[in-house]
Amino acid sequence: MIDIKEFAYKPGEHEAEKASSSYLMSLIALIAGLPLPIINLIATLAFYVGNRKGTYFVRWHCTQALLSQFSMLMINSYGFWWTISIIFTAQPVTNNYIAYILAVLIFNLTELIATIYTAIQTRKGIHVEWWFYGSLTSLICKSEL
Amino acid sequence: MKKILIQGLLIIVLFISTLLILQQIDWMTIFKVQKLKTETEEKLGDLFWETFQNEEDENTNQFVINTLDSIVTMICLENEIDKESIKIHILNKDEINAFALPDGHLVVYSGLILASDNQEELSGVICHEIAHIELNHVMKKLMKEVGLSVLISMTTGEGGAAIAKETAKLLSSSAFDRSLEKEADIKAVDYLIQAGIDPKPFADFLFRLSLDDNEIMKYLSWTSTHPDTQERAEYIIEYSQPSTSNYKRPISSETWELLKIQFAE
Repeated sequence: MIDIKEFAYKPGEHEAEKASSSYLMSLIALIAGLPLPIINLIATLAFYVGNRKGTYFVRWHCTQALLSQFSMLMINSYGFWWTISIIFTAQPVTNNYIAYILAVLIFNLTELIATIYTAIQTRKGIHVEWWFYGSLTSLICKSEL
Repeated sequence: MKKILIQGLLIIVLFISTLLILQQIDWMTIFKVQKLKTETEEKLGDLFWETFQNEEDENTNQFVINTLDSIVTMICLENEIDKESIKIHILNKDEINAFALPDGHLVVYSGLILASDNQEELSGVICHEIAHIELNHVMKKLMKEVGLSVLISMTTGEGGAAIAKETAKLLSSSAFDRSLEKEADIKAVDYLIQAGIDPKPFADFLFRLSLDDNEIMKYLSWTSTHPDTQERAEYIIEYSQPSTSNYKRPISSETWELLKIQFAE
């Protein structure tokens, strides 16, 4: 699911730090933004906008971090509003609801572990590509601005 | 591009499969959700009933209790409702009112018994309240108006009685949603027909209360909070036709007369 690949060039120390920060951004926002699922997307998006004119390595990792947040936003938002409807309206707690929340937790946990791992590796200047998100990022993010 | 699409699709498939597998497990039993719900409802029912018991004058006359119990027992028996789940209470109050509390507590005001021209009318109102209980409308309303977090804190925290006092009026003096009221009316007619009780007097009762009778309106609580009483009477009549003409009575006419005398005194 996670591949270590050769990047187009060897990133510098400063680049590695910035690229790593794009992942850390979503982690910090995840802690600060709980339980609102949109917070980590906004934080990652803000970081992406701030670095969209950065070097290729930084841009590439900011894009991968942002894309991964999009899909999590969708499943998390659905779970979030389902929970809100249970707490504040007459919606009952069902087996389907518990199963959905557990599935969301499993996916979030996987994403969290992948994010921490990628943040560490990227900080060392190692290029890490996620399954699907990596290919998608390569498609969007070009070496020339 | 094709590779990306397949990978994206596989992620979706992976999520859906995880969800489908997890759905096969009975989480409700594992997390004891039902038990927790029942316990919460029991505690809430007790809290609310204690509030009314402390604030109002409870009628402890054994004849009155037994008579109303007979009506409830007959309705429950004929409709396969667990009689033990319905706890009937009578309060001495001029208001024409009856309402349901969590955990099957059914409160009837003496004013309602006095305002009922016959036992079928009273049975209709009781059926309506039993329908609210059986259709879980009480908890739905509480969750909507008060919220699950407050309800749980009421049963676990120390301020439960104080919150119950504040929210008790919500259950006794305000109606359910229009759709829930209609659902309870229709269910009440089903209960009446199944029990062999004529549903027409229930509609008549609503018609009568919809008229602007000052003397009645002064004490009216049950229908003033229930919207469109006349409309309700009309759809009750419409829904209850055609039905049998061999109607039964939950209690004897003599017992009914004696009950009325009890309150007229």
